[in-house]
Amino acid sequence: MNNSKLGCLSPFAIFSAFLAIFALLIIGVLNGNAMFSPGALHNAHADIGDDCGQCHASFWGAQTMTNLCLNCHTEIQGELGDSTTLHGTLTKGLGATCQSCHTEHAGPSTSLTVMDTSAFPHEATGFVLTGHQIRSPGVSFTCSDCHTEGISMFNQQVCAECHRSLDSVYSEKHLTAFGVDCLACHDGVDRYGDFSHSQTAFNLTGAHLRVDCSDCHVGARTIAQLQSTKRACESCHQKDDAHNGEFGAQCGVCHSPEAWKPAKFDHSLSNFPLEGKHVDVACENCHTQGYAGTPQDCFSCHRADDAHQGQYGTACETCHHPGDWKDASFDHSLSRFPLDGAHINVECAECHKDNIYKGTPIECAACHADPAYHLGLFPGQACSECHTTAAWRPAPYNGLHTFPMNHGQENNRLNTCADCHQPTLAQWTCYTCHDRAETEQKHREEGIADFDDCLRCHPTGQEDEAESRDGDKDNDD
Amino acid sequence: MLRSSKELLLALLTCIFIAASYAVVLLFTRQIPAAGGFYGHMVGVLGFLLMLMTETLYSLRKRTRSARWGRMADWLQFHIFTGIVGSFMVLLHSSWKFNGLAGITLLLTGVIVFSGFIGRYIYTRIPRTADGIEDPGLVGIMQTTALANARRLMALWHAIHIPIGMALFIAAFAHILGALYYATLLK
Repeated sequence: MNNSKLGCLSPFAIFSAFLAIFALLIIGVLNGNAMFSPGALHNAHADIGDDCGQCHASFWGAQTMTNLCLNCHTEIQGELGDSTTLHGTLTKGLGATCQSCHTEHAGPSTSLTVMDTSAFPHEATGFVLTGHQIRSPGVSFTCSDCHTEGISMFNQQVCAECHRSLDSVYSEKHLTAFGVDCLACHDGVDRYGDFSHSQTAFNLTGAHLRVDCSDCHVGARTIAQLQSTKRACESCHQKDDAHNGEFGAQCGVCHSPEAWKPAKFDHSLSNFPLEGKHVDVACENCHTQGYAGTPQDCFSCHRADDAHQGQYGTACETCHHPGDWKDASFDHSLSRFPLDGAHINVECAECHKDNIYKGTPIECAACHADPAYHLGLFPGQACSECHTTAAWRPAPYNGLHTFPMNHGQENNRLNTCADCHQPTLAQWTCYTCHDRAETEQKHREEGIADFDDCLRCHPTGQEDEAESRDGDKDNDD
Repeated sequence: MLRSSKELLLALLTCIFIAASYAVVLLFTRQIPAAGGFYGHMVGVLGFLLMLMTETLYSLRKRTRSARWGRMADWLQFHIFTGIVGSFMVLLHSSWKFNGLAGITLLLTGVIVFSGFIGRYIYTRIPRTADGIEDPGLVGIMQTTALANARRLMALWHAIHIPIGMALFIAAFAHILGALYYATLLK
């Protein structure tokens, strides 16, 4: 044994060291740097072979492994500047490099993605795991529950399959309505399971509770689209409008979400408030041609009810009210023949023969025949020249009359025609007032024998006018 | 001479302790600790340092010929302890992959450990003082042929064991440089 120098400096040892170095150099020349490889590359990188430098940058150079990755993975290069993408978020926001999540040399088919999944910022993918913590009571979610085809891949069919198993009826309906692109709406934090529509400005009641979401939220794919759904009735119910738009869009004035029928239409808010008999009439009786534009005049509906056969025109309301046809109150004063005097108490039929009202003449003679008493003395003269409607008498005569008509009024005696004209208007006598025997006696005393024609000497009825008449007579004589 | 095998027992206990720590890591991560991971790196680096100590310190002590640095018997026990524990840690560092240069290095490690066990057997054939040098009294009573055979075997063993160690450390340094270049210092 040689104890004089270190064993490593013995010829054998030095030879062995040089042999080892030589062997490494030979292997290096023949195989490149493959001897440093910790394992086979993935099939996806098979083309790289033993050219380590394609991925491994020297630590003193400017290049990094990430740069070298991106030389080939140009699609990822495109994501890096976009924080809405997975790689953009991971690299920009979290400072990750390619090798933070991806590995190699683990074999031809082993996944190239190896991450600390418990610390993985899943929100960076656009889907938060808030709602996917517990798969079932006591059982947490694992990555492979959703990522069945590899950690970096996600097939939305997984959503559908899992949620079908939870509630097949709802899931089928939901998928049919909104499609299979779950991630278009759901970001993992929305928690639709606890959603109550009462939290929105449109609380669901009545029949609205039973409709499918998509019936109203047609084509909505995002929260914003769901929230922007119009709340006006007609935005959904235009097709249900039995009134063809005649009542406008304010369905809620008459209808409630409970059901379309019964509807409570407040007719008093319309232009034609219902009163009297109209209250109990079925809508269709008046609204025969729809609702909008229904005529409001009585005659449009009551033409057939017109007992007057159109004689009084179409303004029924002039006399009638909705309470009762027969409780009519015709105001004759509004007609062309206002009633006054004795006409007021005359029965209608006295003038309106045979229940005919229209065209009833307003001339007096149409009803009042010239009485025999007149003896035809007033042809063509209107009754109203002497008479008033208050009564036939007194009838002050205003026509040609030589004898003063106020004769005798100072004694309150002469008032009527008959006071003088007896027995008819064609005849007259003074002896109604002036006593015949006394008159004869006085005239005889005066020597007047011819005194039968009183007016010859007394044309105005004055007593003294006869003296001048006598003088004239004497002169004449 | 070695009066007991306490270094083997200590080495076994230490290996069990390290194996337990490996099991804990395995249990928590549910995967074999990678050579480039924290635990893998730790056992690799410590294992390498122990192996380096195994080779250098004992060799240096032998050349000092001074009892001031401790008894040779104790140094040999330490050499055996670090050789076993260091190689076991290197084995755990491998993550059970034996390809490439790392595989060759591990293979050489195994070879040198095996060689060490054989050497220990040969070593004990020659009576020695506590300081590791041959005991003239005891050597004198041995049969001449037996002693000569033992000495020849010991010389032959040295001629093999140390060159294997040199090859191992050349391979280990190359592996370390490669790992530094391709992984540790990689940007």
